[in-house]
Amino acid sequence: MTRRRLLVVLGLGVLVTAALAGLLRSAGPAGRADPVAEVAAGLRCPACQGESLAESRSPIAASMRQVIADQVAQGREPEQIHRWFVQRYGDEVLAQPPTRGPGLLLWVVPAVALLGGGLAAARTLRPGRREAAGPTVPHGRPRSSRIVWWLTAAGLVALVATVAVAADRLTPPATRPPPADPAVVSLRLAQDLEGQQRYGAAAQLYREALTARPDDDAIRLRLAFALLRAADAPGAERSAREVLGHTPDSPDGLLVLGLAQRTTRPAEAPVTLRRFLAVAPGHPAATEIRRLLGS
Amino acid sequence: MAPATILLLTLGVGVVLAAGERPGPGVAHRPRAAPALAGTTLPGQRYDLAAARGHVVLVNVFASWCGPCRDELPLLVGTGRRWAPQGLQVVGLNLRDGPDAVRALLAEARAEDLTVVPDPEGVRAVEWGVRGVPETFVVDRDGRIVAHQPGVVTAKWLEQHLAPLLGTP
Repeated sequence: MTRRRLLVVLGLGVLVTAALAGLLRSAGPAGRADPVAEVAAGLRCPACQGESLAESRSPIAASMRQVIADQVAQGREPEQIHRWFVQRYGDEVLAQPPTRGPGLLLWVVPAVALLGGGLAAARTLRPGRREAAGPTVPHGRPRSSRIVWWLTAAGLVALVATVAVAADRLTPPATRPPPADPAVVSLRLAQDLEGQQRYGAAAQLYREALTARPDDDAIRLRLAFALLRAADAPGAERSAREVLGHTPDSPDGLLVLGLAQRTTRPAEAPVTLRRFLAVAPGHPAATEIRRLLGS
Repeated sequence: MAPATILLLTLGVGVVLAAGERPGPGVAHRPRAAPALAGTTLPGQRYDLAAARGHVVLVNVFASWCGPCRDELPLLVGTGRRWAPQGLQVVGLNLRDGPDAVRALLAEARAEDLTVVPDPEGVRAVEWGVRGVPETFVVDRDGRIVAHQPGVVTAKWLEQHLAPLLGTP
């Protein structure tokens, strides 16, 4: 009896410690340096599935981060900013919306199940009740069901303890920050500049990235697109031709070349764009190009 | 008996909670005051939605880089011209775009006369609770949003939401 009680106390101790460890871990690193990122992490991107505002690359998420930055600069508190967003986007914009409606089931069902399981366990494990009920009950059955209960409880304790200890090791190594590669930094800056419609500056950064990775045609294509949008059609044409020199049927290469040729040599543009449509009829830009050619 | 009771209890709680969640009719479309929308239009004139009281205003959030926005533009412009005498204004809120790209789009759609308020950082769109482009709002003569369409609008949708406000059959 005392030994069993000791076991129960030990088991409960392990569970409570594991639960506390889990709670502390999920409370997470509180000390974010960037207040904008901190507020954004508490909000969800309304245009994406399951992405936080801090991570999303969608245009509206970028705008929402801008709004946060503006409001932080005005000295508004994170809670005030969250409330401002809830007024416009509803509770679902919060990373942790208040538990109401079906969301409440997530809490209620486990609690009810735990309560039910506990009651059933108490009934089975209470010593002597079945034996006292009468000699007709065979001795083996209550004993074996008691063992099953104990084994299940031990299994649960072991499972929770294992998860609490091993959770850190299960985190994928991808979260480690990648080594600072100058080309990667230039690329990221260039994409940001493109987001702000500063295509000339973006093209300059793509050129810098290309000096570090001269063989990367993906960067060369981005350069060509940026030049096209910066209204530098001859530059875009030159970059696209370089890409096509390596891969003559590159759909994006043909697309940029064709679009650039509409300015530089309008007579040749339809030929190139038709070649683009032949190579990649399902390309996202294909409909637009068909319309261009049609008009 | 205990497991059956628990199962029933859980089901009961689930049903009660799920039933409580269902919104009543009309809740999603409850009119609300339109947020501010003021700025300098593409040709450099001043536009303020607050000054458009008495008009029905169709606010379309769009971008030249968004294919569906380009597709619906002619319909919106046509609707604006058709119902302008009854007091309809169409305003384009141009999300995170470049002025040259928008001008080219307007020229292509023969919609140079459309009132376009550029929103290069998208902060005005966020003020309106926009989730993506295109998105369209109908603002009534009292400055309240009475209809909202995330995604492309159809002629039927426009007819359904504008005709009663404009008093056209």
